[in-house]
Amino acid sequence: MLFSVGLYMIIAKSNLIKKVLGLNVMQTAVFALLVTSGMIDGADPPIRTAATSAPFANPLPQAMVLTGIVVAVALTAVALALIVQIHADYGTIEVDELKEAP
Amino acid sequence: MTWGDALPWLVALPWTGAVATLALGARGPRVAGGLAWIVLIATTALAVGPVLEVARHGPFSYALGGWPAPYGVELRFDHFSAWVLPLALLFVLIVPFSWRYLEGTIPHERQAPFYALLLLNAGAMIGFTISADLFNLFVFMEVVSLSSYALVAIAGRGLAAWAALKYLLIGAVASMLMLLGVTFVFVLTGSVNLADVTARLAAGVDPVPAATAIALLATSFLVKAALFPLHVWLPDAHAIAPSPVSAVLSGMVVKIGIVGLIRLYQLAYGSAAFEMAGVNMLLVWVGAIAIVMGAFLAMVQNDIKLMLAYSTISNVGYIVMGLALASPYAAIGGVAHVFNHALIKVTLFLAAGALIHATGFRTLTDLSGVARAMPYTAATMAIGAISIVGLPPTAGFVCKWYIALGAFQARQAGFGFALVFGALLIFVYYVRMLNALYFKPALHDAVRNATEVPWSMRAPMLLAALACLVMGVLGGVPLSFVEPAVLDMLPAWGP
Repeated sequence: MLFSVGLYMIIAKSNLIKKVLGLNVMQTAVFALLVTSGMIDGADPPIRTAATSAPFANPLPQAMVLTGIVVAVALTAVALALIVQIHADYGTIEVDELKEAP
Repeated sequence: MTWGDALPWLVALPWTGAVATLALGARGPRVAGGLAWIVLIATTALAVGPVLEVARHGPFSYALGGWPAPYGVELRFDHFSAWVLPLALLFVLIVPFSWRYLEGTIPHERQAPFYALLLLNAGAMIGFTISADLFNLFVFMEVVSLSSYALVAIAGRGLAAWAALKYLLIGAVASMLMLLGVTFVFVLTGSVNLADVTARLAAGVDPVPAATAIALLATSFLVKAALFPLHVWLPDAHAIAPSPVSAVLSGMVVKIGIVGLIRLYQLAYGSAAFEMAGVNMLLVWVGAIAIVMGAFLAMVQNDIKLMLAYSTISNVGYIVMGLALASPYAAIGGVAHVFNHALIKVTLFLAAGALIHATGFRTLTDLSGVARAMPYTAATMAIGAISIVGLPPTAGFVCKWYIALGAFQARQAGFGFALVFGALLIFVYYVRMLNALYFKPALHDAVRNATEVPWSMRAPMLLAALACLVMGVLGGVPLSFVEPAVLDMLPAWGP
């Protein structure tokens, strides 16, 4: 659901910043799905101490989501840098107005 | 010490080089460019060993951190991974070409980051080719994509940034589709290791989510490969980037999608959990349409780099059609075309870059008659052009011949004709280009009095053109890698 909201924002919004925000919403959706896939009902955290016992929650998705978040941050940074450059040169970040610019 | 231990270094070497290039970049772009070149030569030399090993003894793998698969992260070098050698080798040609090319096009302080990004890109593509893990494929694909976005934007100001941002938005959506697909696979099978996933899918899973996962992954890879309806980001990005970058993007980065698709095929065929016939039929049609549409769009372009960019779309159509026809000959041709197209497109883009560098013009009209002033560059362009059309003594011929044979073998003769028709269209626009370069009178004094580019640009270009010719004669060498891998992959087709 969140994924579709993000996708809709990327397609329908004309403001570039809003497109990037849509992208972030979409990324969050995927991360949320991925991180919940490691959950097991009634499981302990996967750290071995005297107090915890099997079943353990799967730690792998958390590691993957963490990597994914790093990727997403880098992506957002590059996108925003590009938008800054576009704004500096054209004075606008609306797609409709950019299309008219040569 | 086995060759498996060398695998992490294939990625680590260019990436360490990227950091070093950035650090030493303060001493000037010459240092950075030289260092990047040395690192890439070392990487190429390192890639020779694993390639020979896989030719002799077959695939081998390396478990990162000592954790055996399926628990740890695995790097696997199989016959398809032999692609890393030509990949690294083409980078070795592209870097010296960039030395002089960049002087006129990129601000001084951005040149060291340019080489660093190039190395990052090369390392990530090698990593993508040798990783045996769906999640690692995602991570490497992201590094490739991110460095590509930055490379597109590096030269110019607003226009380049706008092209890069369009590329970024579409590429990022594709990446998220891929991660969603990986999530589905993970939830279904509890594993992301390719071999393990294949085994677990074969053991039987719910077909609907599994098919959704495959569809998500395939869509994502096809966006990255710029197959026809998903190609909209490609022409702008490839035409606006500096020419060496266009060569990298068009020749290699697009192929990342194809390599991903090949991995997906291995997974789907290996597990036999899916009926791939429907998907294949769809891809064959889309591929055929891409060939013709790409060629048509290329035909009407006047800008030489836009033309080459559309020609890439057409050639991706060939590769996908070859893979999806799923008969041995077609698939072999398709996979071999991954390599040959990279070689040809690098040749063409380097030559186009040389023309633009020397004259300052980029449309065919403006460039007409340039062959008299720049005979070497024009000759390179001509060799590249006849290769991509697929005339016999060149690299392009072997794969197109195989794909056409495969179309007949799969009893889909119609697609064989689509291929020939596409080749004819391609022929038309390259003839138009050669006609302009060689036989039309020059319009501008700058073209008439153009001087040939310096040797640091001429040599890589001519070497690449020579390789196009040599690979036409020695076409069996890439095929000897492709053939066992493809026959392993395809089900139901006996020897």
